Amino acid sequence: MGNGIIGKPIPRPSRDAKVQAYLPSVVAGIGVTVKHFFKNTKELAFGQRNDPVLEAFDDGVTTISYPEQKRPYPERFRGVHRLTLREDGNPRCVACLCCSTACPAQCIHIVAGEYADADKKGWEKYPVSFVIDELRCIFCGYCVEACPCDAIRMDTGQHAVPYDSRDQFIYERETLMSFSDPSGRQLTENPKDDPARGHTPDRLKH
Amino acid sequence: MVKFIAEYQVLIFALVKILIMLGFFLNLAPVLVFVERRQAALIQDRVGPNRAVVKVPGFLLKGALATPALLAGVAVAALCFKFFPANPPETGVGRGFWMAELATLVLWSHALVLAGYVRVSGDAANPLEAALRDMRDPRWIFYTGGFLHLALGVLYGASSPANEAEVSKAFALGGPAALAGVLLLVAAYLGYRIPSGTVELRAAGLLHSIADALKFAFKEDFVPPKADKLLHSLGPLISLFPALVTYAIIPFGDALCFGTTNGALDVTKLAETASTVGACAEGQQAVSLQIADLNIGVLYLFAMGGTGIIGAALAGWSSDNKWSLLGGLRAASQMVSYEVAMGLSLVGAFMVYGTPRLGEMVRWQAENTWGIFVQPLAFFLFFAAAIAEQKRTPFDAPEGESEIIAGYFVEYSSFKFAMFYTGEYIELVTSSALLVTIFLGGWTMPFLHRDAVHVAFGDTVLLHSQMSHLVATLLGVGIFFGKVLSMSFFQIFLRWTLPRFRYDQIMAFGWKFMLPAVIANIVLTGLLVLGASSAGPSVASGLRLAADATGFIVIGASAFLAVKFARLLLSPVERARFTSSGVAARVGRVGRTPETPMQA
Ligand code: SF4
Ligand code: SF4
Repeated sequence: MGNGIIGKPIPRPSRDAKVQAYLPSVVAGIGVTVKHFFKNTKELAFGQRNDPVLEAFDDGVTTISYPEQKRPYPERFRGVHRLTLREDGNPRCVACLCCSTACPAQCIHIVAGEYADADKKGWEKYPVSFVIDELRCIFCGYCVEACPCDAIRMDTGQHAVPYDSRDQFIYERETLMSFSDPSGRQLTENPKDDPARGHTPDRLKH
Repeated sequence: MVKFIAEYQVLIFALVKILIMLGFFLNLAPVLVFVERRQAALIQDRVGPNRAVVKVPGFLLKGALATPALLAGVAVAALCFKFFPANPPETGVGRGFWMAELATLVLWSHALVLAGYVRVSGDAANPLEAALRDMRDPRWIFYTGGFLHLALGVLYGASSPANEAEVSKAFALGGPAALAGVLLLVAAYLGYRIPSGTVELRAAGLLHSIADALKFAFKEDFVPPKADKLLHSLGPLISLFPALVTYAIIPFGDALCFGTTNGALDVTKLAETASTVGACAEGQQAVSLQIADLNIGVLYLFAMGGTGIIGAALAGWSSDNKWSLLGGLRAASQMVSYEVAMGLSLVGAFMVYGTPRLGEMVRWQAENTWGIFVQPLAFFLFFAAAIAEQKRTPFDAPEGESEIIAGYFVEYSSFKFAMFYTGEYIELVTSSALLVTIFLGGWTMPFLHRDAVHVAFGDTVLLHSQMSHLVATLLGVGIFFGKVLSMSFFQIFLRWTLPRFRYDQIMAFGWKFMLPAVIANIVLTGLLVLGASSAGPSVASGLRLAADATGFIVIGASAFLAVKFARLLLSPVERARFTSSGVAARVGRVGRTPETPMQA
């Protein structure tokens, strides 16, 4: 046997007849709530205290009255995803499935396809369908990390808004391609991995 | 048209009654949701629901607020001055007196509201408002109002035979004129003071209920993929059903008596005065203000209320979710257990009243005394059991958020959830209505009889003032709805006061305390009823006196509460100050909270 658990003895709460009968304590408790309610209501109604709603808009009050006031998100805030575009308006995504493989929530679904004029373009694969379920997404950002050509980014600065139904949270390829970063750019920030711009990495050259 | 009404009057009466009750119950449900949140916020001293806002054009608001006052003023002026000469002088004087008092009330209460407004906002639009803003203590408005009320009363009562004619004349003319003038003034001031631009209307958070209703209507109706689709949809229906049918047997007023034509009820012949014995006088027909006067009375209520269990249990079972299953089980077992105590707690009341019909119960209480005085134990037991039946705190283990999320309706969304929710709040109103009907005298008040206000103790008559049948009945309807409102309000206070019982405590309380207690109540009541009925006339007259005394107790308690309320309204603000240390101290030194830029 060990030493057992040593604890600090705490006196039992008093269990006299008044407490055990329950009803007197209930009545006393109701008295307290009723008193607070009427007192606070009266002071609010008679203007004997500040109106907390109006007060929240005053200068120097650090509480933000969402949605009238909004705090800007930090630059590296992970918002809803966007698919970056090439200059010709096609998605930069080459449907390599790295993001959907990396995604811990398994909420990305991609169907890969091939351009007919792949030779002329310089790249051949593209996502025929690219779907992210923003309800399942945990906004970890792994997809962005995994992408080899900066095709998926989370720099929209927007959070997912509450929609009426679940299917509205399932973002299709066109939706994702329509988003931009806060400055309105739909292209990528670092074009270095784009074969079309002659920056094809050595390892990709034949 | 008249013929049509005569032909279908039974149907029309039933429809009107259903509309009244349905309107009251269905509208009260969202209002109670609002009351509940606002109460919580004010008790805990936080902002509470206040974000929902509609932007109303100023002229609409002006119209909505000023038009009623304008119409009332014009109506008062028109009615009194047009029909005044036809009135016998006494009623004209009495009416004039009450109108003068009402005018005073409207005047000082509006002045108080205006003072409160300008003192908070600080912007006074004219010298009068500036004076109101800068006056040291706005309580003087209230005191002045009270003094004016008293002065009017003294003036009215002190008329000596010498100057009686002048006083009568002054009141009969001055009262209506004052009331009409004050109402028109209020209308004009509202029109002048409400800004013309867009006004943001928050209505203290009442709009949140409307926003919620809209959201309930438009949100996705989600059914879990593996749920039993049929039962899942049936659950909320069955839950709402008892809430929507039980108020059919609750009487909301005394019977209206009509005269007859060829032995049939004639709606145009509303009785002038009511008989004091029985429902209606000879040759009259009664329209009881109760949708259905069933002979099984309150048993119907238990039968219907019992079906609610099935709804909760079905919802819990069919959702394919362990939390809801647990919640459904808890709800079913709890409701079944408390159903027993609830039914048995009324057996004593049946013995005393000698009937299961709610209307007759109220009549018994009108003739003798309120049920709470003859069945005090049953009142508390029934109250507790009713709360347990509604699954509200402290008996809300079926939806214990901290243990099983939301219990049996965890998997419900949109309108199905709204049905559960509405059902719950309608049940709250129904149980309040039941408590009021069975224990708190229904539509009656002590000393308020079917034909008169009659204050008496034993054989000594202290006050007697005649009333017409219509006025008495309408007053009764108002009293009933007022009592139900206050009772619902009180039940919501319970929610913010009591912590939740553990599930085993609920069961132990139900079976080991409530059940023995209700049985003891039955035995005790039986013995007392037997004893009282076999005792001599001296005991009977003693009981009579005791019954009259309870009337004074009720009135006394109401007066005590009113005085307490007035004292609260007049009490000065005492604000605890926490400025000795920390941030508060710094704020106190600097005089304001430190400026923090809005930054990420
Ligand atoms: S942020 Fe994380 S969870 Fe969301 S899609 Fe990307 S990898 Fe998946
Ligand atoms: S977004 Fe990037 S990682 Fe995902 S499939 Fe396209 S290219 Fe690959």
